[in-house]
Amino acid sequence: MASLKRWVLVGLVGCMALALAYVPPRGAKSSGTTLFVGQSRQGTPARQRAQALAEEWRNADAAVRLLEDRQRVRGNSFRTSPAIVFRGATPPPNDVRNVETVMDSVWRGLGLAETKVQVTLVIELQRPNGSANRPTPLQDRVAYLPPDSTHRTICMAYLPAGPYWTLVILGKRDARHEGFGRLAQWLQAGLGPCAFYAAYGTPGRPVQNWLAARNWDLGLYLGSHGIAGERFSSLTLLGDPRFAWYWEGVYSFSPATVACLAGRPSGCRTAVLAGAAEERTIPIASIVLVERRWWQTQRLLPGERYLGDVARTVGRDRFLSFWTSSLPVDTALAAALKRPVGEWTADWQRGFVAPIRLGPAPPLGGVAIALAIAVFAIGIVTATASRRQIR
Amino acid sequence: MSRTLALVSALSVLTAPLQSQDSLVARERRRADSLLSTWREAQRLADVADSLERVRATAGSDTIAVGGLRIIVNPSPLPLREAAERAWPVIDSLYGSAAEDLPRYPYIFRAVDPDSGVRRAVLHVGVEVPWDLDLRAMSMVLLTTVTPPDFDAALADWLGAALRPALRPQDERAAVFVQLVTAPSEAVRNCFLGDIARCKDVLQVGDSTGLLERLYATPAEREALVTGSFGYYFASGATAPSLQRCRQHRDDACSALLQSLPPGSLPGPLAPAARVLLVREALGAGGREAYRRLVATPSASIGDRLSSAAGIDLDSVVVRWRNDVLAARPRPLTLPWWAGFAAIGWTAFFGICALRSSRWRL
Repeated sequence: MASLKRWVLVGLVGCMALALAYVPPRGAKSSGTTLFVGQSRQGTPARQRAQALAEEWRNADAAVRLLEDRQRVRGNSFRTSPAIVFRGATPPPNDVRNVETVMDSVWRGLGLAETKVQVTLVIELQRPNGSANRPTPLQDRVAYLPPDSTHRTICMAYLPAGPYWTLVILGKRDARHEGFGRLAQWLQAGLGPCAFYAAYGTPGRPVQNWLAARNWDLGLYLGSHGIAGERFSSLTLLGDPRFAWYWEGVYSFSPATVACLAGRPSGCRTAVLAGAAEERTIPIASIVLVERRWWQTQRLLPGERYLGDVARTVGRDRFLSFWTSSLPVDTALAAALKRPVGEWTADWQRGFVAPIRLGPAPPLGGVAIALAIAVFAIGIVTATASRRQIR
Repeated sequence: MSRTLALVSALSVLTAPLQSQDSLVARERRRADSLLSTWREAQRLADVADSLERVRATAGSDTIAVGGLRIIVNPSPLPLREAAERAWPVIDSLYGSAAEDLPRYPYIFRAVDPDSGVRRAVLHVGVEVPWDLDLRAMSMVLLTTVTPPDFDAALADWLGAALRPALRPQDERAAVFVQLVTAPSEAVRNCFLGDIARCKDVLQVGDSTGLLERLYATPAEREALVTGSFGYYFASGATAPSLQRCRQHRDDACSALLQSLPPGSLPGPLAPAARVLLVREALGAGGREAYRRLVATPSASIGDRLSSAAGIDLDSVVVRWRNDVLAARPRPLTLPWWAGFAAIGWTAFFGICALRSSRWRL
């Protein structure tokens, strides 16, 4: 007993020594490493209003250009593949021919020839920055003018080239490095919903309403190889799952989108059919203006290729029956897929991305160590209890 | 008569969609024009508001002038004059005569309470700094936020950073030395051994034709680059099979993948610090007008600009850079003579303690 008291005393003295060493009564000096976070600068409210108006003007101006171009190109083109109109600058004839050759090849790659709906691609080459007199025209968003009751056979695509593709198209950047494939990919992506109109005609009212309600996010890319055959999709932009920003990106989406990424059919169904129940009147000349960071606002990942993959998988006839159906979208789509929409979509997604794990996911090593410690502790307690003697 | 009337009616019915389309275009055009005129008005108002905000933000502020530095800041205990007096010679020695242009780029600071619980007004102009910064920290702020005069985008792209004064010149050189001896690259090793053409390659100031083969000279380097830095980029879609073959040590596949990268995306084996040091070397060699000559012709190649700034040919600049880097070899870690004995002593002490401890008795 005396021995035990001595050890308790030694322990207490030790604790006091440590406390004196680490918590000195004289107080501590700040290490000076407090993080100060300064505010980022904001425009004045007047400047923000001017910027918002400039953005509104850009959209209106793009719409006017598309409408005017549609009137201009009516019946002017004799090409089977999309007519190409350049705005902003006039490229030399050789460069125009090069772009047309690439477009022809893209068109053939999509299995298209002469189509009922004629597509016109307006390529807006980079212009100098806006003057004091007017803002810079729309240069970083793609816009589409689908066929409507006044022009049933013309679909217009507005594709801003930006500085990079402007240099390539004008031959100022060595095309050897860019490769034929990259320009083709860019042009193919630029066709957007117009490729669907060309391939399958005007959709039935339910499908049209559904896609308009979602700003055509499921029909932005009619690929020829399917998602697995393409290098990039909006999913790629999320980055590598090993890093934190991947998960920040994932959890910025709606719950249904995340649930679908986790392979849950109910989430996939909700993500695909969002907007299908909305009843709306589509105005004449309904411009589809793709959002600037469209991949961050998707309801299905990678939604832009979804309908393209559905079409490729189910075949032309079944897809056409869905596309032109007057039935509700969920019924028509399930009939075309011959499976419930949620299940098919979950399988489709599983085909190119492993389902993410939702909820806590402790690493295997961590679990093993925790279990080992628990077993060890229980063992010690058991051994102690078994040796206890009562005198 | 009735037939003519019917014809006119039919024509008007047929052209109705076209007319509606025309009116739609006109309507959209009117809307765009109206927006444009509203924007012009809003823009004028915004210019006035910005100008007023600038006046408001700097009203009642002190202006501190030291050399070419102009610092506009609200009254605070910040040691700004002293900090500027410390920073100015360093800034002046880097930009030379161009530092005289710095009054065009005044610092506008807003000294604020460092307590994050204190509510701050929205910031429209300038930069916030906490008012409790000491002299050293404030000098650092001045050195790291100075605006390089007439710094162009081409130079910034190549450099990968803005050209500002070095905070610890010796450490920066030593860091480049470490890169030079540890970068897993044949070209860098050759540069270290004195091959100036390879130094120009790794600094990306020479001819860019066939740069891939010169920068990543061996198949192992190319494979490491593809599978390491670009593994995720090439892992999906059409390039996935090539990546697989590259992983199986097929150099043709690795080279083809690297060739397919857009120009400018091939990473150099040395970090931007090496290029920053090269620019400093050129500026050091060229005297007070060197910086002006460096930024005088943004359209010229980087090599020509460096040579013009230094007033000597590019090879000589690179030689000076290499000599400077080699001279900055970090000193090897030296232990005092007693450190070994102390380590052995402590090990023995704990060992003995462990051996002498009694068994636990329950």
